[in-house]
Amino acid sequence: MNRKLAIFLGFFVIAAVLITMGYGLFFASDPNEIPSAQIGKVAKQFAATTFEGEKISLQQFRGRPVILNFWASWCISCRHEARIVEAAHQKFTPLGAVFIGIAINDTREASLGFIRRYGKTYLLAPDDLTGTISLDYGVTAVPETFLIDKNGMISNKVLGAISKKTITDFLEQQLK
Amino acid sequence: MNFKTKYLLIIVSVCFSLHSLYADDLEKRVREISHKLRCPTCQAMSVKDSDAGLSLNMKQRIRELIQEGKTEAEILQFFEERYGEWILRSPKKEGFNLVLWLLPGLITIIAVFLLILSILRRSKQAPSDELSPLSDKEQHQIEEDLDKI
Repeated sequence: MNRKLAIFLGFFVIAAVLITMGYGLFFASDPNEIPSAQIGKVAKQFAATTFEGEKISLQQFRGRPVILNFWASWCISCRHEARIVEAAHQKFTPLGAVFIGIAINDTREASLGFIRRYGKTYLLAPDDLTGTISLDYGVTAVPETFLIDKNGMISNKVLGAISKKTITDFLEQQLK
Repeated sequence: MNFKTKYLLIIVSVCFSLHSLYADDLEKRVREISHKLRCPTCQAMSVKDSDAGLSLNMKQRIRELIQEGKTEAEILQFFEERYGEWILRSPKKEGFNLVLWLLPGLITIIAVFLLILSILRRSKQAPSDELSPLSDKEQHQIEEDLDKI
């Protein structure tokens, strides 16, 4: 093997390893970049009892787009999005959309305090003690929001505070 | 203490010991399986080492799945279905992932092969013990230098 080719191959292998390591360290480990395994799949059925005592299930909202939001009272980003989600609920629920908020890893008292403080009025329920609903949806952190279309398929997942535009674009398209 | 009480005490002790053994084994299996899963919130850690709320939920779910009689493979599959393959701390040994598993070994083998090849070539190219005859120019230069002495 010629010396120049050997040196080139050596550099090529080292560069490839360094680039792969750099990508893994700085890009691939960003949870925002990790695609949800749930997107494009049928949303898993669940049942819950709201803080007001109403029994709800995803099944009963079949044929309507659903904004399924996972939140917790101790989560800072949940405070940022609380009024955005509530405003979207006020606007789109009369048009046929469904807003469900599932509180995870939270105490009932803290969740209720958060609901009162931010004036949340849509369907709000606690997950069970082992987080059955959040684990079924592959939730990685709060807030996390799943956009479920009229056919019951998960169209998208937003990690972090959801924006007004994301909700509006999705629901306007679904409620045409 | 009468005869019946003694037997009852022995049975209770055996039951208690068996329960402790089962609980220890269950927790050992929970630790083993949770060590193979990535904490979804703090991704540098395993579920076993993490105290994040979601990791605690995952550990509890693993415990329940073991009690339901699920195997380790089925439990890992359960989480993979929901979170995707990244939840597994070791990539599966199939498809493109094989490159990840094989590349380090392959690079080492190629490096060793190239090193041996290089050593063999050098040893072949090494000058022999027999000296090559001097060229006319060299011979002339030597004679000139000797004359100067």
